[in-house]
Amino acid sequence: MKKKLIASVLCTYMVGTMLAGCSGNASTGTTAADAKANQSEAKTEAPSSVAVQKTSIVTAPTELTFIFADGDEGAKASMNEIVNRFNKTYPDISIKIQPGNGGAYNEFLKTKESVGEFPDVMEMRDTPVYVRADMLEPLPDDIVTLFNSTVPFDGKTYTAPIAGENTQGIIYNKKYFDENGFTEPATYDEFLDLCQKIKEKGDMSPLVIGGQDIWHIGFWFYKAYNDQVLSQDPDFIKHCYEGTKNFSDPSIAASFEELQKIFQYGQDGWVSTPDAQITTFLVSNMSAMMYSGTHMFSQIKAADPNFSVGWFPVPSPDGKTRLVGGGGAGGLAISAEAAKDPNKKAAAEEFIRFFFQPENYKVYCDKLNAIPSTKALPDLNADSVMMEVIEAAGKADDLSVMWNGRIGDNELPPDFRNFMYKTTIEVIQGQRDIPSACEELNKTWQVSMQSFNPVKSSK
Amino acid sequence: MKMKNNKKSGIDLVTVSFIAPAFLFFTLFIIVPTIASVYYSFTSWDGLNSAVPFVGISNYKEIFTSARFGNALKNTMILTAFISVLENAMALMLALIVDHVRWGKNFFRSAFYVPVLISGIVSGFIWKIMYNYNFGAVNTIFKEIGLGHLTKDWLGSPSLALAMVGVVLVWKGAGYYMIIYLASLQSVPTDVVEAASIDGASPLQRFRAITLPLISGAFTINFTLSLINGLKVFDQISVMTDGGPGFTTETIVYLLYKVGFNEGRQGFGTAVGIVLLFLILILNGIQQSILKKREVQL
Repeated sequence: MKKKLIASVLCTYMVGTMLAGCSGNASTGTTAADAKANQSEAKTEAPSSVAVQKTSIVTAPTELTFIFADGDEGAKASMNEIVNRFNKTYPDISIKIQPGNGGAYNEFLKTKESVGEFPDVMEMRDTPVYVRADMLEPLPDDIVTLFNSTVPFDGKTYTAPIAGENTQGIIYNKKYFDENGFTEPATYDEFLDLCQKIKEKGDMSPLVIGGQDIWHIGFWFYKAYNDQVLSQDPDFIKHCYEGTKNFSDPSIAASFEELQKIFQYGQDGWVSTPDAQITTFLVSNMSAMMYSGTHMFSQIKAADPNFSVGWFPVPSPDGKTRLVGGGGAGGLAISAEAAKDPNKKAAAEEFIRFFFQPENYKVYCDKLNAIPSTKALPDLNADSVMMEVIEAAGKADDLSVMWNGRIGDNELPPDFRNFMYKTTIEVIQGQRDIPSACEELNKTWQVSMQSFNPVKSSK
Repeated sequence: MKMKNNKKSGIDLVTVSFIAPAFLFFTLFIIVPTIASVYYSFTSWDGLNSAVPFVGISNYKEIFTSARFGNALKNTMILTAFISVLENAMALMLALIVDHVRWGKNFFRSAFYVPVLISGIVSGFIWKIMYNYNFGAVNTIFKEIGLGHLTKDWLGSPSLALAMVGVVLVWKGAGYYMIIYLASLQSVPTDVVEAASIDGASPLQRFRAITLPLISGAFTINFTLSLINGLKVFDQISVMTDGGPGFTTETIVYLLYKVGFNEGRQGFGTAVGIVLLFLILILNGIQQSILKKREVQL
């Protein structure tokens, strides 16, 4: 009713925001260690021509709509390429890509659903929400078994993980480091010392931070949260649902303090810098380092093919190395509504199989420097820095999924993460002190819990 | 034309047939959803599930005790006051310029109106790029003309961001209100102005004593429109700041959108919408009663 009307108007606005931002962390499926272990299993050469027409799998010409988070240029290019290949291979199936508004993808997808334009196949990130609303179709076993790991809900798998979790670390200007005798820090204190030295040198900012896109703040937030909160209590969110803990916990305050320390080394204007611009800072010698995922490697290369990239993980204050990695709940999914049509169901499932065929999946992994989630590994063009990331993830003391990618008892209420990130910005900018931020988080948590409490509902 | 009347019931069928489509459309898409939204505002519906749990007045309780709503209300009021005053001042100034220029009247009228034709989203993007701290035109110009000390993080500073969004709204909206002022200015009888001129009234006196009272109807319309538009601002905030930094530019409509669509709390979002509806009605009522008293009819 009215919500539909509002949604229609908002949808129009949303279409206009298609240029904004970049996608968040890539979806999930396998740990780097798993990937490495399976590397020898099934390396496949990309064929010179993949547009060999296949026998029809549908009884009538079928059209599917497909939406993915297209904020990242690499994602857009690779998805288009794979869809084009599929359309050529299956002439009686036509997959139509719809613009996906990478900057605010989750809300965009909800808006599409509200106006009755939920896609047939999509990149799904808010998987639990849609599974609970019975809007996704379970994937058949032959697709599920393509992956090293998937995340099932009540025994059924609804998403085909597009990639392993996007491992984050410091991406830096290697040439600048070499020229100035800077070395990769081995401890957290050494990292802060390094930032201080670059700041004192004064020719560029130690860090570039894309604070305008709050999901970029999420990278840093999760690092501090992982260091301070999860290191003490891996089930902190579950305990908050149970009421035994809250956001006034000293570990939350310690996370804010860690971020305050680090962010003093960000560039001037970091709050209004979009993530899409941070590559420019790095390749233009305006900043020495950025903290982001492996998807940035291809963007840096595109911006300056001669740029010398280095990478290191930021150690935790307790000396351990905690990285993002492993499988999550996001990935390619099929709409339950579309699956009511046997032709659409068959076509959508075939598209997912096709997507993860090594020669096609290679396009996606290479473009986004994604860690493959499939058992059959594509023959990646990964460069040495990417292999360094994969190696570091394999050796990390702790490999975890981002806090907003968890499901079950540690699943966050919808959009609580955005509230946290915005509150974090307020704290770092000094608009709010830490105790009042914690108090506000507690209030918001209490309200959020009224409508979403997986711990209570599972009892 | 001979009217077909149902004499018994007194219903004019021709009239009804003309009104019916619009009436049905309006009822189906405006009245029914509005009434339905009142019901949804008393629920905790998440926007996706078929279950619509009734929660009584708890959404409204939360609205009036929530610091986030208070902050959004404050931001909305500041932004609305800012753009109502500046938009009208700017529009009147532009209308006077266009009304008085001897040459290029059409050019100026079109030039001042161009920003109105640009969509809110696009204007937001343009200004977001211009405001960019490191690469934007605004700071670059300051640096180039030796005023580098005036460079600011226009959208990243909590104390500036809301005003900077306001500037964009004024830039975009002033041309529209200018047209209304211009039409009103052109309807001021020249004989009255000439008579005042012969009596020795200065241009400022003529403007204050004759022109202003005679265009007060335009003031009422423009202030009403800018008030409503100010309370409804969404697209520029969505594009330029996403309600940030932190929550410093989050307005009521943006809060409604965030809680309704991002947080999956359509029931609460709808309650915010209902509160906004009453807010518009109350503020508009106050404004109308003040401005109407000042209107002068010839």
